[in-house]
Amino acid sequence: MADSSEARRLVDAIIANLPDPTPGLRPVHTIGVGVDGYFMASDVARTYCIAEHFKGQRIKVSVRFSNGIGSPFQHDGWGDVRGMATRFHLPDGTATDLIATTLGEFFVRNVEDFFEFAKVAKLEPYGRRSPWLKIWDMLQLKLPPPRDPYPNETENVNAGALRYANGHRFAQLGVVQAAVIGAPVSYARASYHAVHTFIVTDPNGVRRPVRFSWQPVAGVRNTDTKVVPRDKYLREELEDRLQRWPARFMLMMTIGEAGDALDDPTQPWPAMRNRVVMGTLTLIKVAEDQAADGERISFNPCRLSPGIEASGDPILKARKGAYEVSREMRGGCPFRWS
Amino acid sequence: MPGDEGWFDRFVNGLQESDVFKRLASLVLVPFWAWRMPVKPLPGGPRPSTQPGDNLQCMMNLIMPLKIKSPIGRAEAAKAIAENKDAIFAGLNNVGTVHFARFVIVGDNICMFSVYDGDFTNYIRDFIATIGGVFNAVVELAEGGEKVIPCECHVEAFIEWVRARDLYQVPDTITDFLRDQEALNGDKAIPGNDDLSLLPRKLILQLRANANVSLGSGYRAYPGFSVAQVRKRLGIGW
Repeated sequence: MADSSEARRLVDAIIANLPDPTPGLRPVHTIGVGVDGYFMASDVARTYCIAEHFKGQRIKVSVRFSNGIGSPFQHDGWGDVRGMATRFHLPDGTATDLIATTLGEFFVRNVEDFFEFAKVAKLEPYGRRSPWLKIWDMLQLKLPPPRDPYPNETENVNAGALRYANGHRFAQLGVVQAAVIGAPVSYARASYHAVHTFIVTDPNGVRRPVRFSWQPVAGVRNTDTKVVPRDKYLREELEDRLQRWPARFMLMMTIGEAGDALDDPTQPWPAMRNRVVMGTLTLIKVAEDQAADGERISFNPCRLSPGIEASGDPILKARKGAYEVSREMRGGCPFRWS
Repeated sequence: MPGDEGWFDRFVNGLQESDVFKRLASLVLVPFWAWRMPVKPLPGGPRPSTQPGDNLQCMMNLIMPLKIKSPIGRAEAAKAIAENKDAIFAGLNNVGTVHFARFVIVGDNICMFSVYDGDFTNYIRDFIATIGGVFNAVVELAEGGEKVIPCECHVEAFIEWVRARDLYQVPDTITDFLRDQEALNGDKAIPGNDDLSLLPRKLILQLRANANVSLGSGYRAYPGFSVAQVRKRLGIGW
């Protein structure tokens, strides 16, 4: 288990910067919906990884989609990172989790960076930019100028995040991506990336560094940014979608090479890396018991089954402890580790 | 927020999206900022790498402006390719590291787009060794081509000639584009004073300097495999 005091400080740093901290709820990714489904590994998955869920049998899964913002107030239509946490329920009663978000790369390399980021990227008042300043922006070819606030949006961390990124090049990709990430028309129409590197072992004992992504079979589509965003539609859209037809995601596994950033989640891997289709996730229905399957269910990116290991990524290691601390603080459901 | 702006807000928001502003900015603001903050063209071709995967399925996007910018010049180029189809195919088979190659006429440019394995200079070297004669027929129709033909006799000069006409490949991530600019400018400063809000202007000015570019490294259905591996696994021999 990670250093619990560090884990606690991480969670406290997040809570200290929340617009509406609410005990008993997740500090981030607060609003979410639990979904039931199953995963079927591809024919080739077992040749790359010996983990149980890649052997080819049908694996029951629980998925929680979420909005990234840490607030009990729902703003589906705001530009925001979305989460897709997946629990694979293995035949022996254990489980393995895969936690992914729509952000391709993270914005800090390690815990120290995170604490500094938390200091700089504080909530600040956010209002409509004067049209005269927008004209000044346009004359400087800053196109488009900063967006207008969303309905009821009075503060955010954008200015601080930009200041941090201006001073830390490793953070620039993540911050720029987050700034333009938008809102999906459906949780089932976004790509989700696990960000961190994991090490998978094949039947011959060969260990490979990999990164996982979920790609939606329905395709990626965001809402129109010129239209007033709606606050509540993602859960209803998913219920409606799954009543008509299952939603599917392909699990893609990209294999890293020597020289790729294995322990740094801020660094992308080149697009020319080999990638393998590891299987298909089929989502059947929104879970009936949302209190259990949407709220109390607790995921952890380091809950891994034999055949998959965490890399040396310090953020991944830190998340292990932070997720447990957060779970205990909100009374989330414990789950045995093995 | 949309829906509660005043008329001036709406006007300015609409202005930034309008074609009128974009055209006006193209005529006035872009030249002004290009004068204030000159930007050098970024070099074309693949970025150097020692990693195996980065040396597979590389792109060449060769744009050669025709000397005769008219249908006659374009017809000459089309004729040169058509008359040498057998030689081109045989040559590409002999190079052995080319996944795809095609000639395209865009405007008054004859273009060769190809995907190849291995080092860029070796690719060009092999290419002119096997189909140099054909390439002479094409290059002599292009601006500046007379200086490097017969290309099989001016190998190094020809490699440089091709590199100068190979498109700059914009990185997959927008922030890596900034790193390319910094490297070109010899920016060794310790980061800390960047201004990401200027990213749009930097991109606009770069695309003024490099009017034609390749966007990102492109999609590959089977990344990380060489021509030889693909042909072997498909059982279609060599």
